[in-house]
Amino acid sequence: MTVTSQTISKGGDEAMTTSKLCTRFIALCAVLMLVGAACSSDSGDATTTTADGSGTTVPTETTTTSGDGTTTTASAEPQTVEYWHTMSDPETAQLEAVVAAFEAANPHITVETTRFAYDDFKAALLTALAGGEGPDTARMDIIWVPEFAELGALQQLDGVMPGFDDIADSVFPGPLATNHWDGHYYGLPQNTNTQVLLWNKSVFTEAGVDGPPETLEEFASVACDLSNPSDEEYGFALGGTYFWAPAPVFYAMGGQVVDNAITTATGYVNGAASVAAFEMLNDLYADGCLSPNLLGGGIGTADGHATGLYAMITDGPWMVDIYAGNYPDFEVNFSLVPANGSGSTSSVVGGEDVVVFADSDASDAAMAWTAYLMSAEAQKTMAEVGVIPTRADLIGDPDLPDYFGVFLEQLTTAQARVPHPQWGDMDNAINNAFQRMLNGEQTPQEALDQAADEINDLLG
Amino acid sequence: MRSTISSAESRIGEAAPHTGGQLPAAHRRTRERRNYRSTLAAAAFLLPGFLLFFLFVLGPLVFSFRISFYDWNIINSELSEWVGLENYTRALGDPVFRRAVINTIAYTVVTVPAQIILGVGVAILLNQAIRGRSFYRVIYYLPVITPWVIVSLVFEFIFVGQGGLANYLLKDVLHVTSENIRWLAHPILTFVPIFLLGIWKGIGWTAIIALAGLQSIPAAYEEAAAVDGATAWNRLRYITLPLLRPTLTFLTVVLTIGGLNAYISNLLITNGGDPQDKTHFILTLMYEATFEGLDFGYGAAISYLLTAFVLGMSVIQLRLLRKKVEL
Repeated sequence: MTVTSQTISKGGDEAMTTSKLCTRFIALCAVLMLVGAACSSDSGDATTTTADGSGTTVPTETTTTSGDGTTTTASAEPQTVEYWHTMSDPETAQLEAVVAAFEAANPHITVETTRFAYDDFKAALLTALAGGEGPDTARMDIIWVPEFAELGALQQLDGVMPGFDDIADSVFPGPLATNHWDGHYYGLPQNTNTQVLLWNKSVFTEAGVDGPPETLEEFASVACDLSNPSDEEYGFALGGTYFWAPAPVFYAMGGQVVDNAITTATGYVNGAASVAAFEMLNDLYADGCLSPNLLGGGIGTADGHATGLYAMITDGPWMVDIYAGNYPDFEVNFSLVPANGSGSTSSVVGGEDVVVFADSDASDAAMAWTAYLMSAEAQKTMAEVGVIPTRADLIGDPDLPDYFGVFLEQLTTAQARVPHPQWGDMDNAINNAFQRMLNGEQTPQEALDQAADEINDLLG
Repeated sequence: MRSTISSAESRIGEAAPHTGGQLPAAHRRTRERRNYRSTLAAAAFLLPGFLLFFLFVLGPLVFSFRISFYDWNIINSELSEWVGLENYTRALGDPVFRRAVINTIAYTVVTVPAQIILGVGVAILLNQAIRGRSFYRVIYYLPVITPWVIVSLVFEFIFVGQGGLANYLLKDVLHVTSENIRWLAHPILTFVPIFLLGIWKGIGWTAIIALAGLQSIPAAYEEAAAVDGATAWNRLRYITLPLLRPTLTFLTVVLTIGGLNAYISNLLITNGGDPQDKTHFILTLMYEATFEGLDFGYGAAISYLLTAFVLGMSVIQLRLLRKKVEL
């Protein structure tokens, strides 16, 4: 008896599991069908309203043509331009004034601005563009433009955007060049900047040094005079080993990464002037005159400079606002990057370009907004919060802040980094070369020879 | 009557011949209908989950597998170029990738045993009748719920090369070194804060899981052993730990997967491989290739290599640790 009851219950269980599986599957199918029906009934509704009850099979075409109709007859209709950027707090506030002025002059266009953190911006843009949800325009780092252009994400502006030639003629050539890729311009330089020398006056005075060094030779000896490594005091400090950090000294020494036609790095990044620039920095480091923070995990240059640990740093115009916020009592002093043996200075061009995206469905309005951002009016508004204009005709304008003078002067000789989609990898090659020499694994010449080979590989 | 029974039912009927006919047919039908209805409800509840799984897990998984065979153009995917296995061979031949693999394995080999030993130790202590037990449980669990980003920055700050808390202790308090140690400028020393952070942050979770395992061990075993004169160490060695084996297996597998997937602390503390691309983990390299270098195909290939490795490791671990418990 017990045996049979066991088999019964066992058999019952088995029957249940199999029938369960089956019914589960049927149920799943049923639910899927329900969902499917819901979807199709949705589109069915849409069709009946457009096709006037004549039939259910025509609809898709009618809806798309009506969609096309609205886009082609759009010019007078209200349009929205999405503009993404990475501006600071004061810049974002000032941008509202620029948007208001533009919208007042173009009542049919609304500009929607979205702000991102710089570090997240590239990934955010890519994700949005890949999903077809990208903005119409954006202000992006100058070194990204060739990269996005190569991906086909950007609209060519020369010969397409109304008034492009006039705007291109009115801006500094260095910043404009950062928009050039493969024979065309894919953006316009919205704002620019460069690095100059910052020198801590109280440290200099205390040590009996009159003023900032004017030549690189003088710079090297002053840097060592003002150093005391056992107290973590250094004459000079760089933010890191990435190219932007040593770039002012590198370009001032006459260094070059590649030839002008961007075909080879041999004889350029490992040429005599480039090697001399890195040799000088390497010697400063070895002699304890350059802070070790550049290899990571040290005191930041901005804090170190204001607190007197780093007598000299190189940095940009935004430092005025940063110090006003963090070290209100600190007196910021700028001077030109020290000159090389033949008396000429140089530095590196930074800044942002405004671009129009290829799949913007409001590109006319987007180009009108771009043109306005490039106008003297908009650039002067932004200059009030420390954004350096790119229009050459604004040099000497009395409305610009006083400290712009040294930056505008430095900009006349500052050089752009290599405008190439692979620049990020080239930067990394130089970065690693710099670290290898600082760690004593290679001489500057050996390290840069290797970097030249790596960059040549990237140039293909 | 027979004809209303589903085909599945009749097949079962064949397998167990004398069971099918014995239940009254009407009773069976209502039961079946009830089953059907509850299964339908269950399916309706499961469906959103399945849809989300297909849409957000399986879909991207398959898609990124496809990407890994292309020089993928993220914005205009029709411009993508088929490169076959090139992304995979490139990764395997890349010294930076190989270094990243070694670093990731080192991280796992160091942090997983450390988390288990310390976590189980804490669990054993927390399992005692001590005063303020729940207070200690909260304290040990706090690191688990603090965000990775914040504690990574805190550890970076502690291990600053010029001054910093770690250097202060070593140089000015303990006099172990006469100069500041440049922790984050060194390709090996950089891992000190990263490893410590991984261990520190994992102990609480390991302890809570181990505590649950300890509490499922009947007290009678230990008591019996104590009566027989077993020392505390022997009770731990021969009773507690063997009975904790399923928990330890679970911890080892999950922590290993977590270790191989370590990412945030490294990204923040090394700034993505500094110095000299020698400190990458597999995932930071994947992130850099994908979102800095826009090399989506290469990034996808790296993640699939990691997936294969994690899968292999987990299978091996489960095999090795599946041994039966014998007291």
